[in-house]
Amino acid sequence: MIEIKNLTKRFGKITAVDNISFTVNDGEIVGFLGPNGAGKSTTMNMMTGFISSTEGSVTIDGYDILEEPEKAKKRIGYLPEIPPVYPDMTVSEYLDFVCDLKKVKKSERKEMLREILENVRLVEVKDRLIKNLSKGYRQRVGLAQALVGRPGTLILDEPTVGLDPRQVLEMRDVIKTLGEKHTVILSSHILQEVSAVCSRVIIINKGKIVANGDSSDLSDAAVGSKLSLEIKGEKEAVEQAFSDLEYIESLEISEKGENLEVKLSSAEGVDIREAVFKTCAEKGLAVLEMKNDDLSLEEIFMRAVSGSDEEAALEKERQAISAETQAQAEAETETEEAEAPEEGFDYIADSAEIITAEADEAENAEEEEETEGDLK
Amino acid sequence: MTAVFKKEIRTYFNTLTGYVFLGFFVAITGIYFLINNMSTGDLNYASTLAGSLMLFWILIPILTMRLFAEEARQKTDQLLLTSPVGVWGIVLGKFLAAGVLFIFGVIITAIFPFILSRFGTIAIAETVNVMFGYVLLGLALIAVGIYISSLTDNQIVAAAATFAALFVLFMIDSFTAEMPITAASSLVFAFLLVVLAAVVLYSSVKNLWASLVFAIILGFGVFVVYRIDPSLFDGLISKFFGWFSMIERFENFYSGVFSLADTVYYLSFAFVFIYLTVNRVEKRRWA
Repeated sequence: MIEIKNLTKRFGKITAVDNISFTVNDGEIVGFLGPNGAGKSTTMNMMTGFISSTEGSVTIDGYDILEEPEKAKKRIGYLPEIPPVYPDMTVSEYLDFVCDLKKVKKSERKEMLREILENVRLVEVKDRLIKNLSKGYRQRVGLAQALVGRPGTLILDEPTVGLDPRQVLEMRDVIKTLGEKHTVILSSHILQEVSAVCSRVIIINKGKIVANGDSSDLSDAAVGSKLSLEIKGEKEAVEQAFSDLEYIESLEISEKGENLEVKLSSAEGVDIREAVFKTCAEKGLAVLEMKNDDLSLEEIFMRAVSGSDEEAALEKERQAISAETQAQAEAETETEEAEAPEEGFDYIADSAEIITAEADEAENAEEEEETEGDLK
Repeated sequence: MTAVFKKEIRTYFNTLTGYVFLGFFVAITGIYFLINNMSTGDLNYASTLAGSLMLFWILIPILTMRLFAEEARQKTDQLLLTSPVGVWGIVLGKFLAAGVLFIFGVIITAIFPFILSRFGTIAIAETVNVMFGYVLLGLALIAVGIYISSLTDNQIVAAAATFAALFVLFMIDSFTAEMPITAASSLVFAFLLVVLAAVVLYSSVKNLWASLVFAIILGFGVFVVYRIDPSLFDGLISKFFGWFSMIERFENFYSGVFSLADTVYYLSFAFVFIYLTVNRVEKRRWA
């Protein structure tokens, strides 16, 4: 269990992390979400004892990271934003060194390394120099390093940054598998990632926690409160029909071919689907299609963030998006396509899995090509 | 500590650094040996070692420039500092790795006095003594190099700065000879030292008033002592810099005398710089 109490970090006059507190229980996969520069890395660096906190405390399984650093550090594996690998070592040499560093007993070493290499799929490159590995493999070496010594908790800082879409999905897959045996805290500024992998989300902005809850809860709260319908009928009649309806907050009508496209939203947490159906039936309006527009984490994120400062947050979000590599943008489009509007938030994870399966096939094909290339 | 030590030794030989260092070391010492001993028939190996001291200017930066600068650049310091290893362990591991490689080089060059002993009788005890002094001096300078490496994340900068620092340490004797020796100039110098001490104090405690009060009290004390007995200040500048003269202390070893005081001096010199390095690494975390 990780307990963070009133953690604050100031760099001179800048407050990077501002009085945050939260607890992560054993077995959870927690996503740490926020725009670039929100204080995610700083928080993680404090949690792992790389930097000290200005105020507040971090306790890992009851050991304070600053007061009993050796005991606390033994319980965590940390993958920083840039994997801390030595380019002049082979993967095996490097992991051997990390075993030395983390004081792993010689007798356990062989078995543990074999297991780790298998888990993060590094077996085939274990004798290659790290400098000759691609970014994706390096990231996995970094992850392998975090797993050495079987720590109970893994702290992963932006584990998928800079990877191509296929590698991103692979990495998420690996993390999900690891989540079965470890407590995982991962940071990201990509919403799909967090929703695909994590059970709980902590949203952080400008060094403060702006939301903390189940990743499904956050969007469940909004089920049925945002609908989009396709209706056959006159615009005026539709307007008339819905104007009598209670709880409706906004109404948007546009033409879609011969029919009308209607977007409705209700006050928070109110399911209006039944009422909408009945009203339309009474007025003789044919509902051709009705679907849930769940709030995506994006919207929840924006809501939570804009609570503090809307404009700045928008700006930051824009920056975050533009800062992402094209590869990630592609990865997102893929996921977004899968996340067709009629599918609720709960389906995102499933569709991501489908993509993973597809990606695995693609990977196999590509790997074959690679081996051929190597042979040549 | 052993983990870092093993890793550094391995890195020396994974990259070319270790081979370059040893090759360079043995080759240049060998050339000195040829000129000094073989071609003249002189059996005094001590003079060869003393003559080749300037080799340190290049050898020490080769050994130390990478040690911390490269960790910072590759962000691998995050791995070291989040592992269950203390900062002392990390710094000592690196120091010992560089030290052991250096000593290894010295052991290889021990072949030269051995060759000499085939042609005549050499003073074995004296030769061992001068090699011992040579190792001590080298270790002290390695500590300086490691400290400088911890100040930057660029190994070239670390190498250049170490070169400059060693140059100054070696040339201090010639500088001090040129320094003014009057009591008045010494007073000015003493004041400068007080200001320097206050600045160091301020940079570590970040308290302006405490540093100012410290500077004023110390400055006043210096002034009072000067009024009471100005002769105490005679030659203060050269005495002060003379304390840093590492070469002067090598002369005892060179002339065949084993000096415990100089041994302690070199070891404490190394310790101070190791301590400064630990401090520096710790401070980065608390910044």
